[in-house]
Amino acid sequence: MSLPLPLLSRSSSSSYRYCYPPPPPPSSSSSSSTVPPTSSLSDDDGNDDYPPPSSSSSSSSWWKDYKFNDPHLAHSVIGDFPILSTRFDADGKMTSSSSSSSSLVDDERDAGGGGGTGGGKADRRLIYLDSAATSHKPSVVTDALISYYETMNSNVHRGAHALSRESTEAYECARDKVASFVNARDRNEVIFTSGATEAINLVATSLSCREGGGREYRLIGEGDEILITEAEHHSNIVPWQMAASRTGATLRYVPASSVSDGFDVSALMGGLVNDRTKLVSIQHVSNVLGTINPIGDIVDYVRDNASPDVLILLDACQSVPHMKVDVRALGVDFVVASGHKMCGPTGIGFLWGREDVLNGMAPYKGGGEMIDEVYMDGSTYARSPARFEAGTPPIAQAIGLGAAIDYINGIGIDRIHEYEIELGDYLRRRLEDVEGVTVLGPRVGVERAALCSFVSDVVHPSDLGTFLDLEGVAIRSGHHCCQPLHRALGHSHSARASLYFYNTKEDVDDFVSALEGTLGFFRSLTSGTTVDGEDGNIVAETNDDDPFVPLF
Amino acid sequence: MKAATPFLIAGVPIAGLALQSWSAANAWTHPPANSIVVPRSSSSRPRAVGGSIGDPKSRPRRGMDTWRDGEMTMTTTIATITTTTATAAHSSPPPSSSADDGTTTTTTTTTAASGDDVIDDIDSLCLTPQLRMMTLAFASIPDERTRHKQLLHMASTLPDVDDDVRVSENRVPGCLSRVYVDCTATRRRRIGDGGDGGGYGDDDDDDDDGVWAVEYRGDSDGLLTKGLLALLIRGLNDRTPDEIDAIDPKFIKAARITQSLTPGRNNGFLNMLAVMKKKAREAVERANDEGGGGGRGGGEIDVEGAASATKNTMTTTTTTTTGGPMYGAILAALTKSLKPKSIELVDESHKHAGHAGIKGTGRALLYIVSDAFEGLNLVKRHKLIYALLGDVMPRIHALAIVARSTSEVE
Repeated sequence: MSLPLPLLSRSSSSSYRYCYPPPPPPSSSSSSSTVPPTSSLSDDDGNDDYPPPSSSSSSSSWWKDYKFNDPHLAHSVIGDFPILSTRFDADGKMTSSSSSSSSLVDDERDAGGGGGTGGGKADRRLIYLDSAATSHKPSVVTDALISYYETMNSNVHRGAHALSRESTEAYECARDKVASFVNARDRNEVIFTSGATEAINLVATSLSCREGGGREYRLIGEGDEILITEAEHHSNIVPWQMAASRTGATLRYVPASSVSDGFDVSALMGGLVNDRTKLVSIQHVSNVLGTINPIGDIVDYVRDNASPDVLILLDACQSVPHMKVDVRALGVDFVVASGHKMCGPTGIGFLWGREDVLNGMAPYKGGGEMIDEVYMDGSTYARSPARFEAGTPPIAQAIGLGAAIDYINGIGIDRIHEYEIELGDYLRRRLEDVEGVTVLGPRVGVERAALCSFVSDVVHPSDLGTFLDLEGVAIRSGHHCCQPLHRALGHSHSARASLYFYNTKEDVDDFVSALEGTLGFFRSLTSGTTVDGEDGNIVAETNDDDPFVPLF
Repeated sequence: MKAATPFLIAGVPIAGLALQSWSAANAWTHPPANSIVVPRSSSSRPRAVGGSIGDPKSRPRRGMDTWRDGEMTMTTTIATITTTTATAAHSSPPPSSSADDGTTTTTTTTTAASGDDVIDDIDSLCLTPQLRMMTLAFASIPDERTRHKQLLHMASTLPDVDDDVRVSENRVPGCLSRVYVDCTATRRRRIGDGGDGGGYGDDDDDDDDGVWAVEYRGDSDGLLTKGLLALLIRGLNDRTPDEIDAIDPKFIKAARITQSLTPGRNNGFLNMLAVMKKKAREAVERANDEGGGGGRGGGEIDVEGAASATKNTMTTTTTTTTGGPMYGAILAALTKSLKPKSIELVDESHKHAGHAGIKGTGRALLYIVSDAFEGLNLVKRHKLIYALLGDVMPRIHALAIVARSTSEVE
């Protein structure tokens, strides 16, 4: 059955770019913030020097009066997320109340944050900056999960009774919601999986499977080439390594570097694509660098230069939750995303694929549901999507994902995207001002996702993560499942702060304050000097004043 | 031994109960009169050596205080343990906490509670004397930041290492920073009695009563990890592989250093300890192969199968080992379970030099005085000892045991 197609109200440009320059730090004399920058976009010499602010001394506190274009979005939704009311007491114990009306309290709260690391605040709120790892869930999603189990729990597709009808309808309705969310042509193009990782493995396994029976399947074979990039998440590297090893195909990759803010598009277009290239798999947005890749240009190039039956897979884990992803406009063959990064439950994700492609692929898992007829000497397979959904599906999780999509649509994915552009830019600019911190990825003023990975010359990312945790700030430290990218950038690990539409300006301010305090503390360990942080907080003590005496 | 009498609270906060005093071994002072302290059941029962971390049943579950021994199950509704803010009498925060107004918090993590729990049973963790000292010292620091500062200070005391340490064979997996640790073994002689762990001195003479003890070098580019490494190195240096094997990683919870004990490939701390245990064994094996491991005649005690007294750690098969490491294991096993007033294990294997042809013979003399023998006849005492030693010493044919109860020697 076909679904009513939503009208595209945006330009159908292949990759969504925001078209206005981000607001610059205003001079301290003005209180509004809509002066377009003069220097940031014209400074295009490609090096890492950021354009100096218009007046270095007066803009040091530019951020205090900074106003967003949409300052209410986050505050209006925080109440929907019970977990965001988590607080930590002096002993570090977490408490979280079931009623969550504390969002307005944070507005009036002193935004001084954690200050130094001399003494802890008695009561700290959770500042969650790890949404790129997983997002939080609004109550409507958890309610949907409970409601499924309590009112319509039943296996789908198999029963003729009322409960089964209810659950099947809810499950398939969730499929429709996903299809609509990504502007698929048909609901049959959406396959539910346990996540994006499984979705990629599905494609890799199916294309490299040597299933007998004389059926004509799309396959990658010996002598074919698979092209990925060095900047990919491990889930978009390892399955292809396995596929190449299984089939004898050659795995090639586009190198990454800090100069190119990710994988080098010019290297991609410089000969890595040839007529043996059968599969290209790239990410839409880098989960480390925040780089938004020019998918439209890449797709055009690949279609022109690769084998005529090349397939292009897009890892949209960091884009689908944050911006409109239109699978038809992008022109790719597969899109994968995870539900838990977009306010949905864990254990659910989806693969979107062109219907004709999917129906020409070998099955992934075998079992019930994906068959047409089963005989002891062989079976015939169903068509997509059932073809790739063996066994009892993650019914509750899919329904939860549907509820998450409804929730996001209720706010508006475009509104979310606009807000995150501002918030991400704000984070980027604030981090630029922090001494001793180097942000990886695009420089200030260049479009990026609302996340920043950074390194420090003063403190190791793991230590930073631990000390920020003492202040209630949750960031991620490590290699973020991108070891090759980190090697290419020359860092073993980095720290990452990632935002979602429920993060506020205060979250960023408190984070930066805690970050400065921690850096000051670690500096004092080596040098023993006092450094004054923002707001006059002492962020480090001299060795004379430090009451700390080692026990042994 | 604890003087506490265990009692159960069945779901209703009870105010004003008289308190029990804690064992003097832990750092807590007497809690104030209007707080309720719920002690664990008596710890005199022998506990699994070393390996209970890996046992999923033994992990306290978030939000629920479920103790492995099954004696007490508390949900957090019961954890309405009111604590006073008048902590002047305390050298450290009270064992459990909730909001001061007595309301129940529905979801609380029990990090501090389980740490206090572990402190009470610190003797069952088989810690080396240094590790025990540091654990208690850390636990006495009331503020988490100060504990971290102490760790950072320890990081600065770790000596620099040469680049030859930073090789992939020395890498500890699963850490958020790069961690390297290397280990060498030296011949040492045991001094002091086994009751409190004793110590080691130089093994100047060439007789058979020396043991292999190990020393570590290490480095990390993350400072907190380096501090942890420094703590472990200081705690494990100059000990035998058996003593090191016996260490229960739960001490890190007792020390209230925020470290997860969830087993898994990504647990840096557990991996560090595991690597150090493994490297201790390997260092001794290397030393035995290189030095004069054999040629000691009847002085060899054959230990096949589990060379260590612990479960859930890596078992290494050693066909022959000289007296030292296994003696350490024997002492550790008996000390832990029987809490003896005195214990001495004398290797008399040299008296059996002529029996080299019989595999597994060795002779040892065990003198042990413990309250545990009170009321048991001689046969039962020996049976108890052999039962406790089971895995450790499967093949000693001649163990002369002199087992007295405390009252008999007074």
